[in-house]
Amino acid sequence: MNVFSKLIYDIGRLWGKYWGSYLNGVKNTLILAVVATAIGVVIGLVCGILNTIPCSKNDPLPKRVLLKVVRFIVRAYVEIFRGTPMVLQAVFIYYGLPYFSNNALRFSSVWAAAILVVSINTGAYMAESVRGGIISVDPGQTEGAMAIGMNHFQTMVNVILPQAFRNIIPQIGNNFIINIKDTSVMFIISFTEFFAFHQYITGVNNLYFPSAAIEMVGYLTMTLIASFLLRALEKRLDGSDNYELVSEDQLVMAAGTYNHPDKGTPFDERSKEYREKARQELKYGRTRGDR
Amino acid sequence: MADMILEIRHLSKSFGSHQVLKDIDFTVSQGDVTAIIGASGSGKSTLLRCINLLETPTSGEILFHGKDMTGPGVNAPEYRSHVGMVFQSFNLFANMSVLKNCMVGQMKVLKRNKDDARQTALRYLQQVGMAPYINAKPRQLSGGQKQRVAIARALAMGPEVLLFDEPTSALDPEMVGEVLSVMQDLAAQGMTMLVVTHEMAFARDVSTQVVYMNEGVICEQGPPAQVLGDPQRQETKNFLSRFRSS
Repeated sequence: MNVFSKLIYDIGRLWGKYWGSYLNGVKNTLILAVVATAIGVVIGLVCGILNTIPCSKNDPLPKRVLLKVVRFIVRAYVEIFRGTPMVLQAVFIYYGLPYFSNNALRFSSVWAAAILVVSINTGAYMAESVRGGIISVDPGQTEGAMAIGMNHFQTMVNVILPQAFRNIIPQIGNNFIINIKDTSVMFIISFTEFFAFHQYITGVNNLYFPSAAIEMVGYLTMTLIASFLLRALEKRLDGSDNYELVSEDQLVMAAGTYNHPDKGTPFDERSKEYREKARQELKYGRTRGDR
Repeated sequence: MADMILEIRHLSKSFGSHQVLKDIDFTVSQGDVTAIIGASGSGKSTLLRCINLLETPTSGEILFHGKDMTGPGVNAPEYRSHVGMVFQSFNLFANMSVLKNCMVGQMKVLKRNKDDARQTALRYLQQVGMAPYINAKPRQLSGGQKQRVAIARALAMGPEVLLFDEPTSALDPEMVGEVLSVMQDLAAQGMTMLVVTHEMAFARDVSTQVVYMNEGVICEQGPPAQVLGDPQRQETKNFLSRFRSS
């Protein structure tokens, strides 16, 4: 029998028998990835606010000491959780808690442990991304906000973080996609996500490759949908290129403004005709009588 | 004598070993329009930024209604909400529409409700001729339009004194006029203003006192007719002669 038709046959057999388990795995993986990424982003934003609290020599000593301590803690958190494997963090937290508390404390559900581990791991990465995002925002924005009397927290929440957030969406997407894939290491604390089902099923029937093929397609589908949605979010946050003038006498007030031509018209710089025309002009020069 | 709003006493500022401001002394009373002129690098902008506490002065005092604002335990954000500032580079919030730019400070800092904030914002946007553009984002506006919105944003906070840091230096020549005429209107309404500027005509016609700065010290100060028309110091004469010839 042809290898490929055999593969398709095996995949069909596996899917027919276990599709419910596979889909359940997809569901668990997605829930874990979405929740943990969201919490991780919040942790990252909080670290970003804490890290950028201004500190001047005029501040009282206790405040300066406190700020130093806070910064040290944030730094240590980032370095530790970025610098150790997530598998080990899971083991440390899930088994370490009962070990140190003589079994008095333990995680009631493996979900709580998994979300905790992936969240704080993502948070460590996001803290650095947020820091980069904040640096990328023009310092004039901070000055503008301070000049109208906003304090650090108000400046961050209203002005800086919305702009930084827009700039780090590609990073959030990165982390989300990494989380979809890397949550597979949570099998170590017997969290049953997508990949864990693969291990369980192949243990039963030895169909390693066909099951792996299903997994591959499954993961790729999830990540592709994720990146598509993130792109859409990015576009939405950028807002419209156009705006409406609020006035009865539009002709007068519109002087000096520029509305982008509608998409698809020959004047739109993104339209096929416009680009083709520009290319022809570059090649042959402007045709006569064109102006 | 008119009510004293700002008193600058022995103000100095150093960046490392480089002393930018040396022992600055001057006062601003209610309704004064003070033009601060001088060559680039003479410390004009630093002086303005010190007054708004965006830079921490190295020594000296800034008295606001008689209270020192440079000591420890001063609520700087609260003070800044009484002292508006307009920047050379506009610094409008890029993530907000024009209207939102003028509302956010009122709502978050002054805790006004949304309707009040909107009404106040619209009133000042109308005053600077930007009311039709309330839905535009800053990146969609020209430089002169941005600066007028920035002025409206500062006015909406109801400041007692308004600081202008070279408000027209980043503008094309044809847009300078629209911003200056807005500022002229403000002066006519009795707004207390401190203006760092290279527009000598504005200093001559609108201001009530002129401060000429040279290398971090106040070289000459007085009414515009005296400082600009009949300067006593050689440095002032040299500086002004460059403007006359051009």
